[in-house]
Amino acid sequence: MNRRILIATLIAGALFLIGRTVFAADSLPTPDAIMNRYIEVTGGKKVYDARKSEIAHGRLEYTAIGIKGTITRYAAVPDFYYASLDIEGLGKVEMGVNKGIAWENSAVLGPRVKTGEERGEAIREAVLDSTVGWRRLYPKAETVGTETIDGEECYKVVMTPPEGQPLNRFFQKKSGLEVKTTTIGVTQMGEIPIELMVSDYKNLGGILTPARVTQKAGGQEFTIIMESIEANPPIPVSRFDLPAEVQALVAKGAAAAK
Amino acid sequence: MRVLLSLCLVVGILLAQTSPEQKRLNLESFEKVWTTVRDKHWQTKPGGLDWQAIHDEYRPRAEKAATTEETRAVIQDMLGRLHQTHFGILPAPVYSVLGDDSSGDGTPGIDLRVLDGEAVVTDIDPGSPAELAGVRPGWTILRIGTTELKPLIDQAMANPAVHELQFTRSLLARLSGTSGSSTIPVTFLAGTQTTLLVNLKRAAPRGELSSFGNLPPMHVWYESKRIGASAYVRFNEFLDLPHVMASFQTTVNGCLARTNNPTSNSCDGLIIDLRGNPGGIGGMAMGMAGFLVDKPNLRLGTMYMRESTLNFVINPRADVFTGPVAILMDACSASTSEIFAGGLQDLGRARIFGTHSAAAALPSAFERLPNGDGFQYALANYVSEGGKALEGNGVEPNVVVKLTREALMAGHDPVLDAALDWIRGKKAP
Repeated sequence: MNRRILIATLIAGALFLIGRTVFAADSLPTPDAIMNRYIEVTGGKKVYDARKSEIAHGRLEYTAIGIKGTITRYAAVPDFYYASLDIEGLGKVEMGVNKGIAWENSAVLGPRVKTGEERGEAIREAVLDSTVGWRRLYPKAETVGTETIDGEECYKVVMTPPEGQPLNRFFQKKSGLEVKTTTIGVTQMGEIPIELMVSDYKNLGGILTPARVTQKAGGQEFTIIMESIEANPPIPVSRFDLPAEVQALVAKGAAAAK
Repeated sequence: MRVLLSLCLVVGILLAQTSPEQKRLNLESFEKVWTTVRDKHWQTKPGGLDWQAIHDEYRPRAEKAATTEETRAVIQDMLGRLHQTHFGILPAPVYSVLGDDSSGDGTPGIDLRVLDGEAVVTDIDPGSPAELAGVRPGWTILRIGTTELKPLIDQAMANPAVHELQFTRSLLARLSGTSGSSTIPVTFLAGTQTTLLVNLKRAAPRGELSSFGNLPPMHVWYESKRIGASAYVRFNEFLDLPHVMASFQTTVNGCLARTNNPTSNSCDGLIIDLRGNPGGIGGMAMGMAGFLVDKPNLRLGTMYMRESTLNFVINPRADVFTGPVAILMDACSASTSEIFAGGLQDLGRARIFGTHSAAAALPSAFERLPNGDGFQYALANYVSEGGKALEGNGVEPNVVVKLTREALMAGHDPVLDAALDWIRGKKAP
């Protein structure tokens, strides 16, 4: 009897220990731990902190409908941003952020100034140190579970900004690298579910960067291939000036508000 | 499309008696239609229906169908349960009517419409072989090569499954061929009694060759002119975006108030002629509307797809033309033309003149079924700002004006004249 109890106790204890051990192994790391590891494996905080400006060049491929383009992006601390896309058959699309004004100017839709959640999203994306300074942008963050993506187990971290849609970011357990982001894109045309698959990490300008980003949104899919990133180049402040058409809209809006 | 139609000519045969092989093809066709609607309809529950239950209801009927016609009727009945336009079956023989044996992009430079059951020349491209040969608007085309058009027109018009846009394009295709190739004999009725046989050459279409993605390169042209105090613009496709958008901006800027007289427009009105314009890049509708609408947060309409809903928003430009806007449309104005015109009409920003548009706001797809029939289905739903689904309904003109052969023969364009009269009336005290 005592033996049975002992055995039962041992089994129960073993189960308890096993249970505790499994729980310890499966407990989810905090978002901070996951992001710190990501920063570490992609270059380290010191390298990120040293980044004050960058110029990136890449290609855009819209395979399903056979459209290609080029993309050039300028960024400088704290949140100066300008990107220009030249797309075959559609012409030029420019977008930028300067002193809290988020704007876009395209050959198709013309110039416009972003407002509301869309503006907030654009400004967050413009912040150059958004990787190391992610906590400022997403005060609420939680590791909510794991998910297998392309055969690799990943942590799922939900980051929620003060205003706007949360990001669901997926980081590989093994490598610490981010492989996927999903969110609801707030655009002028409506809210669109977006999935970004990032891969092909390369050392671009001193930071391990996904050179391939495939975006699925609204049933469409396109890929951006980053070819180069120049770290800390001198960029004249005028590079981030609002185009004349956008300035005219801002002036018109200011006049209407009076 | 031409490849598809040519293929249909070859393959399109009517099998009245159903062999075991034909029965298998008919059942495969039933399944093809059902699964296409299940997988590609813009609603996850197509038409609000339990689509699996629909399958279970109709599959036994399809199995019992003794002939291809009976199978077709079962499929049509099933599609009818959607109560949505642009879902239909085109019997193989109807495809044959729409077929053409042309190849190449050469054209004599003629535009035509079916008016009162006849193919009538409505426009001649400047400098084209047709103009050089003396062809005039208002002439009726009796024969192309050895093909009499009247029986084709009668047959097509008798079938509600045939769209006027589709049929008009098939007639135009019969005139086309390789540039510089041998001439095509065309018999015209010039006037009331004079029959003329004209051997027409083909030349490259009007405009500049423009490419966009996987679409075949197309010739795109844009023209603008002043008619009295009104500006008039016309372009054949919503393509060649950089050129067409820049040209439209130039036209609109030419109509804007002078700086020394900011309260008046330098044009009394703007006429946008979209007759025959089959559409193109949907975003251009929004971009162009931004030159004509000065209030923010307005939209032309909304497109509903399975995965997302897109608002066709208008970004007012810094400088906007605020005078009267007239848009000319006909049964060959489709897709982006309808989105643009329908939206501006709903916003009270434009008045539409002409005839009912093509009711093809979206690029509905045509697929060949295993039994040889054609299957048309819409990929999305587009609702104009006024709440009307454009797909299958089209844009109703505010002022219905029909082209007539007599007016064309006399050198008049009654649709344009009506728009000009309206603009003059707006200007009058």
